[in-house]
Amino acid sequence: MATEKCFAKGSPAPGPVPKGQLRLYSMRFCPFAQRTRLVLNAKGIKYDTINIDLKEKPEWFLEKNPLGLVPALETSAGEVIYESPITCEYLDEVYPEKKLLPSSPFGKAQQRMLLEHFSKVIPYFYKIPSARRKGEDVSKQEVELKEKFAKLNEHLEKKKTKFFEGDTITMIDYMMWPFFERIEVSELQHCLDHTPELKKWTERMLEDPTVKNTMFDMDTYKAFYKSVAEGKPNYDFGL
Amino acid sequence: MSSEKSFAAGSPAPGPVPKDQVRLYSMRFCPFAQRTRLVLHAKGIKFETINIHLKQKPDWFLEKNPDGLVPTIETPAGEVVNESVITSEFLDEVYPEKKLLPATPFGKAQQKMMLEHFSKITPHLFKISSARRKGDDVSGLEAELKEKFTSLNEYLVKRKTKFFGGDTITFIDYMMWPFFERLGMFEVQHCLDHTPELKKWTERMLEDPTVKNTMFDMDTYKAFYKSVAEGKPNYDFGL
Repeated sequence: MATEKCFAKGSPAPGPVPKGQLRLYSMRFCPFAQRTRLVLNAKGIKYDTINIDLKEKPEWFLEKNPLGLVPALETSAGEVIYESPITCEYLDEVYPEKKLLPSSPFGKAQQRMLLEHFSKVIPYFYKIPSARRKGEDVSKQEVELKEKFAKLNEHLEKKKTKFFEGDTITMIDYMMWPFFERIEVSELQHCLDHTPELKKWTERMLEDPTVKNTMFDMDTYKAFYKSVAEGKPNYDFGL
Repeated sequence: MSSEKSFAAGSPAPGPVPKDQVRLYSMRFCPFAQRTRLVLHAKGIKFETINIHLKQKPDWFLEKNPDGLVPTIETPAGEVVNESVITSEFLDEVYPEKKLLPATPFGKAQQKMMLEHFSKITPHLFKISSARRKGDDVSGLEAELKEKFTSLNEYLVKRKTKFFGGDTITFIDYMMWPFFERLGMFEVQHCLDHTPELKKWTERMLEDPTVKNTMFDMDTYKAFYKSVAEGKPNYDFGL
């Protein structure tokens, strides 16, 4: 399965996942799928990728995963796991090398609570660019986003750590990263102006080899998101 | 700490949590807090409850949990965990007796995926209730709810199990149960008319000692929700 080109409706179903291997159903530019790619890369897990055409989903994919969303994992036992946080926790449990979640129940709870908070930030990364495209006034929403960034900044200030739950990267950093990677494309970088610790965190994340391995450059994102705004997403841009 | 009456703004802060137990901040009629109460009871965990007045939250509670939501768990070590699902997972991980989540990573993932599906159903219940109060037509919303109940029913039909995770009650059953307990109060019991397996599941759940220990009867719920609709929630109804 060497092609990165996306599989659309009518494409032949891939065979079963070979023994001892793992398959990721993805879309190259999806921030949620990037979470899973970050975890796979950080833990050095061997896997194959099948990219899905999200506008023309193959029937065989909808049979495996009725919601048809990416990311989704498939094991050689035919087990299918979807929803980005569920795939990431699953991988951390199955593959013991380079644990990304803490071992203590409270440590895990802290990561999950932070993720829950962050899930309320994510919609802004979509709402604001979309409203802007329609020519709407986004100033109120930008203020709200800045408040949320200020809380994240406070968290880092209080903990005095380089990353959100310690001085090394853990699961929560990877769960949050993909949205910050796209902040320039969303034209929201100025919302980081008064959150210096959060800004420094993004700079540290950009130095992480795993992040470098999974990211795309700004021009690629701009071209992709332009194609989305025009109603014809080019999932294979750059291939 | 034997009073069940809710603590409001101005009430004295409780002391530290005694060494051999956990403390649950709750509200007697809250379905989300009931999830945590079900887990605490099912696992036989020693705990004390402080009910919170949700319209006039005490400052000392907001200091522990700035979101100010229930359920919240506090340990003797002063660790604070909130969000119903996160508290439930935390308790299952800390207290090894009577595990509610499966031991395998895929088993856990399956329960979390089911919970994600279910999380799309709960808003409907509140929407229908609120729309009915305003005198809006709820037939569209009810039709959607019936479809969702149908997919839950199908899941049970396919698996041929008594409960959602097998033939004994597990985590997912307790996470879903509080909303089914309130179907009468939401006036949507008839939405179960064409989902016999789901109906049978509710009957089995009603026989569970843990459910019996945490539930209230329909009249109590109706009285409470009436007080909510009137803008003066009576958190201490029945005390």
